[in-house]
Amino acid sequence: MSYAFTGLVWLMAALALVQVSRRALLWRAGAGAPVAWLDGLAKLPRRYLVDVHHVVARDAYTSRMHAVVAGGLLAASLLTALAILPPLADFRPYWFLVALAFGVTAVGSLLVGARRYPEKQKRLSAGRFQILPFLLVAYAVGGTLTALLLAFGGGGSLLAPAALALAAAGGLGLAFEVRHGPMRHAAAGALHLVAHPRPGRFEGRPDTALQPLDLDAPRLGSEMPADFTWNRLLSYDACVSCGRCETACPAFAAGQPLNPKKLIQDLVAGLSPAEPAYAGAPYPGGRAAQGERGALARLIGPDARIHPDTLWSCTTCRACVEECPMMIEHVDAVVSLRRHQTLELGALPAKAVGPVTDLRQAGDPGGRSLGARTDFAAGLDLPLMAARGEAPVLLWLGEGAYDLRYGRSLRALVRLLREAQVDFAVLGAEERDTGDLARRLGDEATFQALARENIATLAQYRFARIVTADPHALHALRNEYPAFGGHYTVVHHTAFLLELIRDGRLKPGRLAALSVTYHDPCYLARYNGETEAPRAVLDAIGVARVEMGRSGKRAMCCGGGGGAPVSDVPGERRIPDLRMAQAAETGAGIVAVACPSCTAMLEGVTDRKAEIRDVAELLLQAVEAGR
Amino acid sequence: MRIAVLLSAGRHPVSGAAVLPRLEAQAIRMAAGLGEVVGLHAGPDSAAVTDALGQGLSRIEHITVPTGDDPVPALAARLAGTTPDLILAGRRGQGGDESGLVPYALARALSLPLIPDVIAADAEADGALRFDQSLGRGALRRLLVRGPVLATCHPDAPPPLAYAYGRARRGSIETVAAPAIGAGPIPALTVEERPYRRRPKLVKGAPTGGSAAERLKAATGEAGAASAGRLLIDPDPEEAAREILAHLRQIGVLAPPGQRAPAPSLPSQM
Repeated sequence: MSYAFTGLVWLMAALALVQVSRRALLWRAGAGAPVAWLDGLAKLPRRYLVDVHHVVARDAYTSRMHAVVAGGLLAASLLTALAILPPLADFRPYWFLVALAFGVTAVGSLLVGARRYPEKQKRLSAGRFQILPFLLVAYAVGGTLTALLLAFGGGGSLLAPAALALAAAGGLGLAFEVRHGPMRHAAAGALHLVAHPRPGRFEGRPDTALQPLDLDAPRLGSEMPADFTWNRLLSYDACVSCGRCETACPAFAAGQPLNPKKLIQDLVAGLSPAEPAYAGAPYPGGRAAQGERGALARLIGPDARIHPDTLWSCTTCRACVEECPMMIEHVDAVVSLRRHQTLELGALPAKAVGPVTDLRQAGDPGGRSLGARTDFAAGLDLPLMAARGEAPVLLWLGEGAYDLRYGRSLRALVRLLREAQVDFAVLGAEERDTGDLARRLGDEATFQALARENIATLAQYRFARIVTADPHALHALRNEYPAFGGHYTVVHHTAFLLELIRDGRLKPGRLAALSVTYHDPCYLARYNGETEAPRAVLDAIGVARVEMGRSGKRAMCCGGGGGAPVSDVPGERRIPDLRMAQAAETGAGIVAVACPSCTAMLEGVTDRKAEIRDVAELLLQAVEAGR
Repeated sequence: MRIAVLLSAGRHPVSGAAVLPRLEAQAIRMAAGLGEVVGLHAGPDSAAVTDALGQGLSRIEHITVPTGDDPVPALAARLAGTTPDLILAGRRGQGGDESGLVPYALARALSLPLIPDVIAADAEADGALRFDQSLGRGALRRLLVRGPVLATCHPDAPPPLAYAYGRARRGSIETVAAPAIGAGPIPALTVEERPYRRRPKLVKGAPTGGSAAERLKAATGEAGAASAGRLLIDPDPEEAAREILAHLRQIGVLAPPGQRAPAPSLPSQM
């Protein structure tokens, strides 16, 4: 009897292995990728217990549920498998231990079931996931009974075959589900943690720079599943359809046709024609999946699996990546697909063609004269690098300088730098756009050309640091230019201003009458992990600071990233309207921002009750009040 | 149908970078889908037009013409040899070596009709070409043209295609031998380059007073002489002629009655 039970677990393991191998055959269709196997294997426990847990624990119920059910399942199955050793098989107290482990699993299974019955939580997928609690309960209860019978020496009783059959039905069902069903996340997820395409993100630093594309490669970007590297295909298989990405996605909330979960599931289903139908929330607008499937099937197109509007709705805000407990890199997938559309097909959204063309031809997405970039500072007399040759601080102005509204923020920043007697200079007409817009829209060729030109310009001058008020420019200069040979110390203006306050070079007064809520820019908070400096500046000027429901690294996007404003995919609502509604819930009279895109997007909200002020503007007001 | 799109070495109006002029990019888009399209450039260097490969062309023919030489004879000789059904060009230059006169010079050299300011082209079943020609302010005229023709593209044509790096990589530029004809230097043009200055738009005869609606009417031509006309239905020819004469006198084309145009004066009448 005990050997039959142990044999069942070994049979389950064998079945699971067969099912994983069938998936692995699919992953082999992907392109090659360098993977540090031994390093990844050694770090697997830490990646799982620390990094994955950190994300899972944001939802306390799920976290406890998963700990109990997964821990119990693993422990019970391992213990039972070990009973293949004769001394253990005949040692009755051992079976008490096994029964205890199965009992814990049974409790966890009920917790799993409670999320889905009587009514499924909205963000979860149905389909095969609805069977999961039954399989778990069958395996756990069957296992508990069998182990108890063995512990009490009742292996020969009439009940034993029934209990074992129940455990077998559940257990083999779970193992079978490793190919298409819910249990795939466990096998693929573990392998994904080992072979993660961005191992840097487990080292405690943000690994968010897009990987450079080899422009001499025979095919640019991803057109079909086989164009992704194999470990990316594996990562999409790790998706457990929990829908956390969907609740975080600004485009989904705005009713634009994007749902990160469905996107990943479409990549999975696109790879394998045998994949069962998707049973979660659809893309808003409800377009049914269509088109051919298979490793060589086209993924993007009005008649293909993913509509182009879905692809261009993404603001690249990384909220989905931040929320994903399986550590999937959605934004990389979006950009890879965009690269093929843009570079190979020229299939940019119609409204984005103009800005990208101007970026390529004039170095600015508005086609404006580069010399006009400093017009905002008329009367402020900005020192030019070309005239000085060196300066301790290089002020990178960015595209916001052309914007009348944002020019006010930059003027405030320049006046603060003057006040603190910072020796700085600007590039003036030599500053080209960093190419951020082109890169997010998939035009890697234009980005690389601009990056090389900017790096060549910067190489002519001596400076210690680059200060910029634009987090998009900051991200490109700090994280993405190193791949092209530009290594700089880049500081966001909020961090720089905080430094000036702490050094006593700026002596702000207190603006206690103001109530402020701070809106985190995605490219500062999520892409660079900087959430504290702007808050510290606001605290230094004594404003009453309140937090929005979503803040810090989990803040919601303003809708201004990833070329979304120029792609302008229609939705039911506008992302900045949603964000301003969240800001209004705090009751704050001022929304503090630290990014030109956020300023433009949030200021463009009609009927807003709160004022939009850059952190630099508020600080200047405080400094002037303190005189 | 075979189409040739003339490509020039243009400059970006703001940055001055060597780019494919927008009008020519629009011409490429207009030609795409009509038939077999080839770009044609005559100039010292083909690098100036490689952008066109990413914006919808897959093949460009380049005729090497030394710097400073007139490209028109070389283009004319090539086009006379290849006899495309339609030749498309931009309607005016935008800096650099563009003069904007090449389409006109070519039309004369090849004795082809030139249809200016086209915003759309389509092929009829019988091989004729149907053009939508812009008359300004959104007014269009539809033209049906048979036989080879040269057309210039208007800015109101559909916007250019996006530049696709991968396509530019796959496209080809062939250098074709320059015809052995004496291509002299560019005919001397007395041109002067000045920075653009925005000038206020004056509307002739616009009333300065009156309501906004009246000023708009005056500006859009729905008032004044044009709107004051009389509508005659099936008039007597005599009466119609009188009306036309009266109108022509009113707008100053003909002298008023009784006041004959002065005869060429004789030197000594007295």
